[in-house]
Amino acid sequence: MVAKYVMLADTTRCINCKACEVACRAEWDTPLGYSRDWVKEVESVNAKGMPELQIFPGRCQHCDDAPCVEVCPTGASWKREDGIVLVDHDICSGCELCVPACPYDARWLNPVTNTISKCTFCQPRIDKGLQPACVETCVGNALIFGDANDPNSEVSILLKTKEWQRLITDEVNIGPNHYYYTAGKTIPVEVMPKLHERHLAGKSIESIVNPLGTIGIGGMMAVFLGAGVKKLVDRRKEVSEKEDNHEHH
Amino acid sequence: MSTTKPQGTIKVRTRDVIFIHWFNAFFWLVLVLTGFGIISGDFVRLVPAFWPTFMQNLLGGNVNLALLHAIGGIAWAGVIGVYAVLNFKRVVLPFLKNVLVLTPKAAIADLISMTITLAHLFGLLKNLKVPPQGRYNGAQRLLGTMIIASSLAIASTGLYLFLAPKLLTFSTLALYGELFRWALVIHVSAVLLVLLGLVAHIYFAVVEEPESLETMKSGNAEIAFIQHHNPLWYESLKKEGKV
Repeated sequence: MVAKYVMLADTTRCINCKACEVACRAEWDTPLGYSRDWVKEVESVNAKGMPELQIFPGRCQHCDDAPCVEVCPTGASWKREDGIVLVDHDICSGCELCVPACPYDARWLNPVTNTISKCTFCQPRIDKGLQPACVETCVGNALIFGDANDPNSEVSILLKTKEWQRLITDEVNIGPNHYYYTAGKTIPVEVMPKLHERHLAGKSIESIVNPLGTIGIGGMMAVFLGAGVKKLVDRRKEVSEKEDNHEHH
Repeated sequence: MSTTKPQGTIKVRTRDVIFIHWFNAFFWLVLVLTGFGIISGDFVRLVPAFWPTFMQNLLGGNVNLALLHAIGGIAWAGVIGVYAVLNFKRVVLPFLKNVLVLTPKAAIADLISMTITLAHLFGLLKNLKVPPQGRYNGAQRLLGTMIIASSLAIASTGLYLFLAPKLLTFSTLALYGELFRWALVIHVSAVLLVLLGLVAHIYFAVVEEPESLETMKSGNAEIAFIQHHNPLWYESLKKEGKV
């Protein structure tokens, strides 16, 4: 069976040391000010009136129905069979149509490569049988990565034994493959995905240009097919009338 | 206007014009097939998913396909551009004078003539006659104007789509990326607009007026055909002593 890679983040174990961010930036040599993963802090007041800090390590959620893949004009954004969403940098134009499409803000234009950067679950490392850099370096062992299709894998066992949540809402439920354990606490709205947006240009192609083009070209073909059929029918009629006249004479 | 049916043919197109027409047609075919193969994402794709998959597999990936499309596009625009410059007075200017629809009055007149022509195909508006036409009829002029405008848009946006990611750093100025995205919209829209017109163009050339197709192969047109379809042109040819 093909692997299905997932990432688990046990927020009760995360100590916000940001070693995952450092490891990721070192692994991928990301420019200053940019990172493929992040740790989000959300402050709140709990039921007892005490201040509380929740910590959510995040990255690309490698969604099953990834809108970044669907909106990419060149196919540079693509999804492997094992669920990892990747960017083919040879064909990526850096048009950024995918950037607002991601509800998790996981994509950004790399000023050095001029192409889109995002978490790849450290695909070259996992293809070599290694763990992603962030998982490898996680001090609190809060990040767990593995194949959910392997019933003996750590992630499969953990998914069965603990109650995990995903960052989904009624509006945005695109099958993220990143799970969070919060010990029953509700995930704060600040961490939840935003409604995916599109650049006006992308929306124009999808909602105006393509439908009008399809209707227009389809309509023209139907009209001229009709005209051709009419011409053929008229011609047959004309020939048979001529033959009838010839027989009468 | 003459009522007798003249015999014989007259040379109306030179070899180089015929070459450029078929060169344009061939490159359009290649560029449309490859272009539709490049655009892959479900939200922006123009054709069923099998086509991009097939074309990208055929060429060994979208990088090669996009490169072939770009090389083809540059060759198409380059050859036609150089030809247009070298033959501006002899070919391009007379063509533009005959074909361009630049005023609302001319556009309305051509639209009326095109509507009547189309209606006649279905046996409608039989009581209305198509107004006498010059070298190009109303539909041809409208199509020609649209193709010229669209081709300029396609060539310029295509160049930007190919060169901008290589020459510009999009992260330094948001406008570069914005221009890229709108260039894509204009590129695709212009192609679809031309394809829309090409359906009619091919139908008329193959079914209704195969004489026109023959002219685009041999360069010769039957004088009787010109007299019947393009009476204003026939009159001017007569004045020039060519028929």
